[in-house]
Amino acid sequence: MTDPYDRSDRFELLAACDAETLVAHADAVVEGGTEVRVLQAPTPQLVMQQVVEPVARQPFNLGEVLVTAAEVELDGEKGFAMRPGKAEKPALSGAVVDAAVEGDHPLAEEMVGSLSSAAAERDREQRERWGETRQTTVEFEEMEDHT
Amino acid sequence: MGYVAVEAGEDVIQRAEELFEKQRVDGESDQLSVEQVDDQFSRLTAQAMSEGGLYAPRLAAIAVKQAQGDTAEAAFLLRAYRSTLERWGSSRPVETAELFTTRRVSPAYKDVPGGQVLGATKDYTQRLLDFELTDDDGTDPTEEWDAEPEDPPQLRNVMEVLRDQGLVHNPETGSDEDQPGTPFDATREPITYPAPRAAVLQELARGETGAVTALGYSELRGYGQVHPTLGEVRTGDLPVRIEHPYTGDEVEVTRASVTETECVVPIYEKADDPQFSFGYGLVFGRNERKAIGMSILDAAIQLDGDAPAQDAEFVLDIVDGIDSFGFIEHLKLPHYVTFQSILDRIRSIRERTAAASSGDDAPVQEVSADD
Repeated sequence: MTDPYDRSDRFELLAACDAETLVAHADAVVEGGTEVRVLQAPTPQLVMQQVVEPVARQPFNLGEVLVTAAEVELDGEKGFAMRPGKAEKPALSGAVVDAAVEGDHPLAEEMVGSLSSAAAERDREQRERWGETRQTTVEFEEMEDHT
Repeated sequence: MGYVAVEAGEDVIQRAEELFEKQRVDGESDQLSVEQVDDQFSRLTAQAMSEGGLYAPRLAAIAVKQAQGDTAEAAFLLRAYRSTLERWGSSRPVETAELFTTRRVSPAYKDVPGGQVLGATKDYTQRLLDFELTDDDGTDPTEEWDAEPEDPPQLRNVMEVLRDQGLVHNPETGSDEDQPGTPFDATREPITYPAPRAAVLQELARGETGAVTALGYSELRGYGQVHPTLGEVRTGDLPVRIEHPYTGDEVEVTRASVTETECVVPIYEKADDPQFSFGYGLVFGRNERKAIGMSILDAAIQLDGDAPAQDAEFVLDIVDGIDSFGFIEHLKLPHYVTFQSILDRIRSIRERTAAASSGDDAPVQEVSADD
């Protein structure tokens, strides 16, 4: 069960949540007068994806994945988020939401609601996708040799 | 060979570029949006990401649009962009057993654990030109399916089945063993030979699809010994996880679409205890041709034989699309001074040859490729 109050779970939900929702929450925080200090401006960066190949079980570098990370401070509480792709505004907004939930901001409950919805949506999409995929499961039968 | 800079009118160069851009917008049709490229040309964007060594689907769509469908150019654009960025760090190493599978077929095992899952493919149908696409109304052919949502399983890797039976040969891992957990990174240090296995896999993973396919094919056509059976071919999404900077926990940032295959090669590494050799292929995006070619080349390189595809240095030196397309295409740029020098040399030789035949015995020089 994914818990938006848990910092690590929240990180994953902030990465998966739709961008418009995060931006709307962050805008609401700023418009409410809360001071946001940017500790790390949102900047596209690279994460080298390491994979353990399954036979020799040694890791190798498959390639880099584009991400955008940001860090802020909100009422003395730090917030961090990382979004896939080139996504400066959503990353910054995610960091604001992270700090707001951690610091129990007045809008935190609303944010947690959105993050819980993001978790449900992510799970629903995966279940639907696999539901479709399994429709193509087949048993191959060897045909008689007529030669 | 030396190079001499040339200059030309900037406005003319600008006009040439504008004419190139005009080709994209000149037709009667609506402009193709980046979203359309992303949604409908996923094989193109996958190839660009794989060969560019950068997983970024939306930027790949922009690159494909900008390159007017030229995947080598699109891959170059991605790699050039990538070179401007800092690296956050490395992900936590992920096992492909965690793949969210959208397709898995095993040519080796009919009754593979977890079943044969065809996924989205036209492998088993006729490949005929579909003229109905000229009036495509975007109807979803799966609309009427009665597919119940279900929790996705983790499908057991075929290599694990072979390992259980003691049939998997674990190759020498070279310098990887000296630095466990820190695989060689070909984007940061030049490869020296014999190359560590991690370098071979990384370079093949970002190799040009046509080159990987052709070199792999050479093994099948008799220029080598590797004619494998594929343990399985899988496509799906692989989690990208980092260490959270506050909690230290392993957390998922996103998932990268990949294609994976393992090939089994009936070459017995130990005469007293026969085991299979193997090859591994893993690439960004949906690109089964390249993943299979990569697995063949991985197996061939491990043999270290005399065939072209078994020579790691030969394969890794030529397989990178950005390198090869850059070097090949640079030949169309001005080489006036170089060529003039060759002409001068030839004229000089001719003059001396003519002088020698008329009685002067000055030595005649040859023009070499180094000129």
